[in-house]
Amino acid sequence: MTVRQLYDKVGGDYENTLARFLTEERMVRFALKFPADQSYALLKNSLESGDMKEAFRGAHTLKGVCQNLGFTALYEPAHRVTEDLRAGNQVKEEDLRELEERYKELLDALRAFGESNA
Amino acid sequence: MAPNVYSEKKRILIADDSPINREILMDILGNGFDYVEAFDGVEATEILENENEEISLVLLDINMPRADGFEVLEAMNKNRWIDDTPVIIISAAQDVDFAERAYNLGVTDYISRPFDVHIVRRRVQNTLMLYEKQRRLLGLVGEQVREVQKTASMMINILSHIVEFQNEESGPHIQHIRVITELFLKALGQIYPEYKFTQEDINLIGTASALHDIGKITIPTSILNKPGRLTPEEFAVMKTHSAAGAAMLDALPLYKDEPLVKLGYQICRWHHERYDGRGYPDGLKGDDIPIAAQVVSLADVYDALTSERAYKKAFSHEKAIEMIKNGECGTFNPRLIYMLDSVADELYSRLNGAPENELDDDMRKLTAEILQKNDITYTGRTAAILEKERKKYTFFTSVSSDVMFELSYKPYILTFLNDAHKRIGAKHTLVSDPLDSDELIQCCGKDKLQDIATLLAKSTPGNPIIAYEGEINIDGGKHLCKLVAQSLWTDSSKPEMTGAIGKIFIIE
Ligand SMILES: [Fe+2]
Repeated sequence: MTVRQLYDKVGGDYENTLARFLTEERMVRFALKFPADQSYALLKNSLESGDMKEAFRGAHTLKGVCQNLGFTALYEPAHRVTEDLRAGNQVKEEDLRELEERYKELLDALRAFGESNA
Repeated sequence: MAPNVYSEKKRILIADDSPINREILMDILGNGFDYVEAFDGVEATEILENENEEISLVLLDINMPRADGFEVLEAMNKNRWIDDTPVIIISAAQDVDFAERAYNLGVTDYISRPFDVHIVRRRVQNTLMLYEKQRRLLGLVGEQVREVQKTASMMINILSHIVEFQNEESGPHIQHIRVITELFLKALGQIYPEYKFTQEDINLIGTASALHDIGKITIPTSILNKPGRLTPEEFAVMKTHSAAGAAMLDALPLYKDEPLVKLGYQICRWHHERYDGRGYPDGLKGDDIPIAAQVVSLADVYDALTSERAYKKAFSHEKAIEMIKNGECGTFNPRLIYMLDSVADELYSRLNGAPENELDDDMRKLTAEILQKNDITYTGRTAAILEKERKKYTFFTSVSSDVMFELSYKPYILTFLNDAHKRIGAKHTLVSDPLDSDELIQCCGKDKLQDIATLLAKSTPGNPIIAYEGEINIDGGKHLCKLVAQSLWTDSSKPEMTGAIGKIFIIE
């Protein structure tokens, strides 16, 4: 699988990310670190325990990381969730569902990519 | 490989709660730097607390656990770390309201997410360069202050030596008194925090200490230089020197209110008072005797004891300390005696050892103090220094509604101060290659830029100020404006223009 194929598969912005990162090597190196990022877990757990301040921080960090790595499809729901939390609004169910789906897709795709290029 | 003094890497503190974001930043900036990472605001503040002097730059995220980026900025302001350590904030492009608040807290620039390798590198380089330049400027001003101060204290020393010449005992007395006085004051401030001497106070009192015996000019040389003990009548005449010196200073109508002269008055008049009230001329007691006079008095006694005089030989350092502690030279403030004990060793090595290298450090502190004072009406230094400094700082501190800027030639960068870049429609505070900058050309046209550059190039160290009038785009419309700038030069024998400082204001 090529890096472009990976980004296409997960709804990422290959062109723009490459332009910012200059090399595919750097893109891949950091994309593969994404599964270890704790911000999604922080968001989920904090929402469950009702800690809205930490939930916001989780969503905000997740949004920032996605933005940096060019994972647009995941960035979008993360952005909406962040803004709702920032404004103190109820987070929308459909946003959370979309977030979870995109997140799982992304992890699967990264795993497949990692295996195919091992 | 030859050792390279510049090989030491600059250290960057990256404070961001996301490890991936920190790693991306380090990767982008490469291994030309050292990195310290902080996961949250508390950690960042702790690191700054311990090693702010080693940190050349802070990359600061705003949303962090425990303490956010603003709290870190507030701590950096409170402790004045922000003066020497620039901060770049990391934020999403849409958080503009954050940016405003951060700029007000002294942030130099921002990096927005998503990170772009070129932008991140450029912002970091620019900020480091700008601060490097400021540090050089600080050094330059320090050089100037040092020069002027040297001249001022040289004049005072010459005057005082005239007195001492007549006095024959002369020698390095004046210089000693100053060194001892400054040493005492510094130690006193360290031991007793209630004495809040700034470096500037210490320098002033040190300079004024040279005046302590100027009243001796009124004493007949037959008494002044008499070998052996003075008769009670002669001693009575001798004792008039302190009040006489004070009266001389009091008769200077122009300078009477200068801090230096006020301190000189206290020192002249009361450097023979004693803490128990048994001194002269006024028999002042305890802390009615101004602290400057108390300190100079102790310095004077110590130096007299350890020097050879017409009527006595020199006592050893140890013997002199012992005699003072035993009250053989009158009673001193117990705090001064305690202080004397604690600096006795240093006192000996300062007067007998190698020339002190602390002077540079003192000058640095003094310069920093002057730069920190934004109040131009302040008259803490001698008139000469004030005049010279005023010229420079009026530019930065006067009417703040002006667009103020700094120009450097190497590298060729124009920097707007106080966010003034926004008023002329520039995106950033830093504009590199200003003559070719589209933003500046938009603002005032290429020909005007060229005219101003030519005027500046024609300025000289003796005639560094230029003025220019013309219509420019400012505050969203065309206005007739005036630009005033002053070129800056190196101090060397062949002065070189290093840049300029200046301001633009609307005159219609
Ligand atoms: Fe005296």
